[in-house]
Amino acid sequence: MTFSVFVQALISGILVGGVYALIGIGLTIIFGVMRVINFAHGDLMMVGMYLTYFLFTLAGIDPFLSVIITIPLMFIFGGILQKVFINRIIGTLPQNQILLTIGLGLIMSNTAMLAFTSDYKILTTTYSSSSVNILGISVSQPLAVSFLITAGITALLYWFFMKTDTGQAIRATAQDREAAQLMGINVKRMSIISFGLGASLAGTAGALISPTYYIFPQVGSAFTLKAFVITVLGGMGSILGATLGGVIIGVVESVGAVTISSDWKDVLVFSIFLLVLLIKPAGLMGKSRM
Amino acid sequence: MKPFIMKTADTRGSFSPSLIIGIVATAALFCVPSFVQSPYALHMMILLFLSTIVGESWNIIGGYTGQYSVGHAAYYGAGAYGTLILLHKWDIPPWYGMWAGIAAALVLSLIIGSICFRLRGPYFVLASIAVAEIVRITVLNTPGLTNGAEGILLSDLPPLTIGGTVITDFVSKVPFYYISLVLAIFTIVVTWLLQNSKLGYYFQAIREDQDAAHSLGISLKLYKNIALAISAVLTSLAGSFYAIYIKFIDPTTVLALDLSVQIVLIAIIGGIGTIYGPMIGAMVLVPLSEALRSNVIAQGLINSGLVREDSGPGIFLKEHLAHAHVLIYGILVVVVILFMPDGVLGFVKKLTKKRG
Repeated sequence: MTFSVFVQALISGILVGGVYALIGIGLTIIFGVMRVINFAHGDLMMVGMYLTYFLFTLAGIDPFLSVIITIPLMFIFGGILQKVFINRIIGTLPQNQILLTIGLGLIMSNTAMLAFTSDYKILTTTYSSSSVNILGISVSQPLAVSFLITAGITALLYWFFMKTDTGQAIRATAQDREAAQLMGINVKRMSIISFGLGASLAGTAGALISPTYYIFPQVGSAFTLKAFVITVLGGMGSILGATLGGVIIGVVESVGAVTISSDWKDVLVFSIFLLVLLIKPAGLMGKSRM
Repeated sequence: MKPFIMKTADTRGSFSPSLIIGIVATAALFCVPSFVQSPYALHMMILLFLSTIVGESWNIIGGYTGQYSVGHAAYYGAGAYGTLILLHKWDIPPWYGMWAGIAAALVLSLIIGSICFRLRGPYFVLASIAVAEIVRITVLNTPGLTNGAEGILLSDLPPLTIGGTVITDFVSKVPFYYISLVLAIFTIVVTWLLQNSKLGYYFQAIREDQDAAHSLGISLKLYKNIALAISAVLTSLAGSFYAIYIKFIDPTTVLALDLSVQIVLIAIIGGIGTIYGPMIGAMVLVPLSEALRSNVIAQGLINSGLVREDSGPGIFLKEHLAHAHVLIYGILVVVVILFMPDGVLGFVKKLTKKRG
């Protein structure tokens, strides 16, 4: 393997890692605020992918541009899920929370199968397979664009959590739900906003990845697992950790695929996951909550 | 704080009536093939027994010990692959091969236990999924041994000798009916014995409060591993049976995450930590998902005149409803978690108590 192949794998890993980071940040916000591990996260992403697909095929809206529509729609969808289902089980047994979100995920993926059949759909844009050449290293154009959008959204999120009142209220809820409630914060509303945010981030990730990925109803479960790996690696509840985790997993996958074999890259990812769980369960940037 | 519930007390109290019901039901089930000839009905019963076996097996680690493994497909697959690989590669009859499946599941459970039981709660769930996925991908990528994604297709079964009788006719579903019935009874008896043994009390103490159990000198690691090993062995038996009965296995049918989830749901929907729970879960889920799969529901909607057969929705339902049989699992689990946190069994008990 030549050096340039390695660098190319590294760069495409970082670019894909940006999208992974979005999935991870969504999951980590939901966990941070509600202490609920969302097993339907990949399925939310799947919903985002189908939204993007139909916006493109029916209305001709470019997948990257459609993010503007996907984000609010997924926010509303996530908010409804939170209000109707998840708010009822906050503070109950963690197993029940897991099972509820598994159930919601199954409903989403099977409804998608009912509505759109299990056929693979491919969203082909004019630039789907085009690449730009930077210093002799070719970089996939859709991946590069999606990375830039990801970076923009992450910066926006950072601003939201640090500078706005709502953002600070959400952080307060994540730190101590009861204390936040005593301070007059409407924690149920913060939960709805957080799940909406998580869902819209997952949906955005789906939108960004759709020009370079197959779209099918069961696509979610692979990404749910990936989202767990990313958030546990970075530290449950830490946004910076999820960003870092996303990029690390992206790089491990893409470099692993060229150095070992693409068949075994997921084994590599899961092994890292288990190692982190065993050695540093709090993750790279998190505090232990075990 | 979780409320401390002594489940053992009331199960002991209802010991004799439930034993009588059990014996009568068993006797009735043994007579079924003499009256029922329809292969489809027998097939349904076999699926019911199979679901009961996996539900009860999961119940030992998940329901009694409180460790929510969402990776039981790994043991199911170990049983299925252990049995069929030996038969396919070296012509070893499955009646011996299933012991290899059991051994594989046992070894796997010890490895998984030693890794995952260091973690608690949601982290344990995630770790169990990760290990099961590693197993699935490994099977998928070692086609030399496992045929990879193609799966293993079994052409014919060697004869089985039980006592003096030799069974060669495996086209009929009757032998499979009895094998699965005996396995289901075996699993239930094991669970019952466990529930009323010292070991079972240890398991339940761990479920109620790990730290308290530990402080009383119960080794968490040891007893969690024992519970997982028993559960894994029973699950692998179900996997072996499935492989011999269906005669085809591949990673997506016997090792997928979906299967792990379905195993958990059987116990959850019925009611965990009870003997009847997984049976009831199986009785609810198998007919429902089978009705969807075989298009009974779509046909019923058309026949009842709600949907016209040649209309758009009619054609749509007939074509697609069959593919979405897992949908029912999703809807049921959401309903159960929100409205019947103790499962269908607990819900029915609560209703009858209110009336009484």
